[in-house]
Amino acid sequence: MRQQWLHGFLDVCLLCLLAERRDYGRGLVERLVGAGFDEVPGGTLYPALLRLEKQGLVRTEREASVSGPPRKYYELTEDGRTAVLERQQAWQQFRSAMDGVVSSPVASVEEAGS
Amino acid sequence: MLPTVASTALRELSRRRVALLFVLLLPCVFYLARIDVSYQAIRFLAIGVGWAVATLSLFSHVSAHRLDQRLSAIGASPTALFFGRQLALATVGVLVAAAYFTLVAATRDDLPHLSSVALLLLTTVLISAPLGALVSLAIPRELEGALALLSIMALQLLVDPDGSAAKLLPLWSTRELSAHALQTTPAPLTDGLLHFTLTLTLCTALAWTAGTLRLRPVPLNPPPPTNAHH
Amino acid sequence: MTSAQEWGAQLVARLTRVGIEMGEARELAGDALVEAEAAGIHPRAMYGPAVAYADTVAQAVRTAVVNAAPLPRVRGPVILRLRGVSKRYRRRQVLQGVDLSLRAGEVAAIVGANGSGKSTLLNICAGLTRATGGTVERTARIGYAPQQHGVAPLLTPEEHFRLFGAVHGMNRKKAVAIGTGLASRLGWRPRADVIASHLSGGTQQKLNVVLSELNRPELILLDEPYQGFDQASYLDFWDQVFHWRDGGAGVLVVTHLLHDLDRVDHVLELRPAEES
Repeated sequence: MRQQWLHGFLDVCLLCLLAERRDYGRGLVERLVGAGFDEVPGGTLYPALLRLEKQGLVRTEREASVSGPPRKYYELTEDGRTAVLERQQAWQQFRSAMDGVVSSPVASVEEAGS
Repeated sequence: MLPTVASTALRELSRRRVALLFVLLLPCVFYLARIDVSYQAIRFLAIGVGWAVATLSLFSHVSAHRLDQRLSAIGASPTALFFGRQLALATVGVLVAAAYFTLVAATRDDLPHLSSVALLLLTTVLISAPLGALVSLAIPRELEGALALLSIMALQLLVDPDGSAAKLLPLWSTRELSAHALQTTPAPLTDGLLHFTLTLTLCTALAWTAGTLRLRPVPLNPPPPTNAHH
Repeated sequence: MTSAQEWGAQLVARLTRVGIEMGEARELAGDALVEAEAAGIHPRAMYGPAVAYADTVAQAVRTAVVNAAPLPRVRGPVILRLRGVSKRYRRRQVLQGVDLSLRAGEVAAIVGANGSGKSTLLNICAGLTRATGGTVERTARIGYAPQQHGVAPLLTPEEHFRLFGAVHGMNRKKAVAIGTGLASRLGWRPRADVIASHLSGGTQQKLNVVLSELNRPELILLDEPYQGFDQASYLDFWDQVFHWRDGGAGVLVVTHLLHDLDRVDHVLELRPAEES
């Protein structure tokens, strides 16, 4: 279930990761794994990046790598930076609302169980 | 609009392979059934062509009804839809008539007035197209409508042409004209042509009126403009 | 051709089938293959089957394009007004007291169980049936997509475009161009030589939907035209409905699926009427 939740927020996550630093596809996946999520399959990741690119929030660049073919690097555009700020705000609001609803039942369950 | 409807209907007809095959071959069967008796052969051929074209017209109008309904709901003229389709059907009819005229002209040399054969085939197909449309409006189903047309044609063949009831049948003029084609000193054409003109006008007018009434959308007025915004 | 290249070729084929330009399709496929090669994984393991990946990618491209430039919402004049509309067939009351006021730039959904009279109400709005009571006022320029028999089985999509375009005097080239453009928004590239009865059910319905907008009507009436759509096409269909709304048309959709109703302006619920 958690991985499904991530896919709903995937665009937001990718924008925020790219706000930190530019990266290529696999790199973003590895950073998400490092943050505690399961590996996002290529069939979900690349269309999401494509959508961001078509919306003008992200631009791409080919960079020759040391070994193998050139990789496609993703970077935020100006519009992308604005979008990140908007989404961070939206996420804060969403998170407080979610906390308000989710926290109480868990607390009472713990009390009842202990 | 009308030329587009006509050319579209023609394309549609050309894709109904089985129906077209019937239209082309059935009159041949009728003709061959009476091949040895000249006047009967011509008459049967003409009635056969008439039945085939009328049935094609019936099928075409029945199967087009739902799309015609949709088109007239968005503003197409029912008149253009009707006459466009009739034009396409008349075209097919004329081609079939021409083909059979060629057959008759090439295979028979015993006919005193060959041009009358052309005339009689032409008048037959020109009546058959609106006749099929008229039957499709009275009986909007392909099988039952085709049976009705078959009954009309059977009556046409069986009824004594000199009897008073015969003139009520749509293809009476065909009989008259075939007599003209076959007799060396025939009666004048006027009776036959008059009946043809009357029948054609009546069938077309009835079919057009009934078709238009059936297709015309419910008249609706636009809402009166208001200045209030919710 | 290696199996990776085969995967790439399948991807290109499917992308063009669903309406992506050949050039862009090749580029997308090339990018995908390069990434897979750089990661040292076979594309099929990385992205899944080519056909499924193509559908997802195409949908992402279309959604982005549609949402990239949303037009400001402007509500225009009332284009459909129903007041106390009722419909009775002999002894059966199908509709009773239906009220609706729809403005240009709004979307209304008619929902209800089967037998609640949804299609009848739409037919009344389209002018195919007369209401037995109440008033119906409606703008003249409408588009209409019935649930069944909306297309001619023996005609090709282009012939449909030409015929429908001719209703308002559009010439053939323009009608075909507009129709093809509308089709691509639903992920469909019409082929010139296929008659409607040989199209899949979902594709026939896409043709049905395209024909309802071909003449740029002010009011578009749709009767559950998404039968046979896969998930991506269903989403595209609703994207298209909201795109029409943003373009200034009013849209009335009969639906029994309650999925996307939070984005809709009016929801009219019909209940099955009792036998009298």
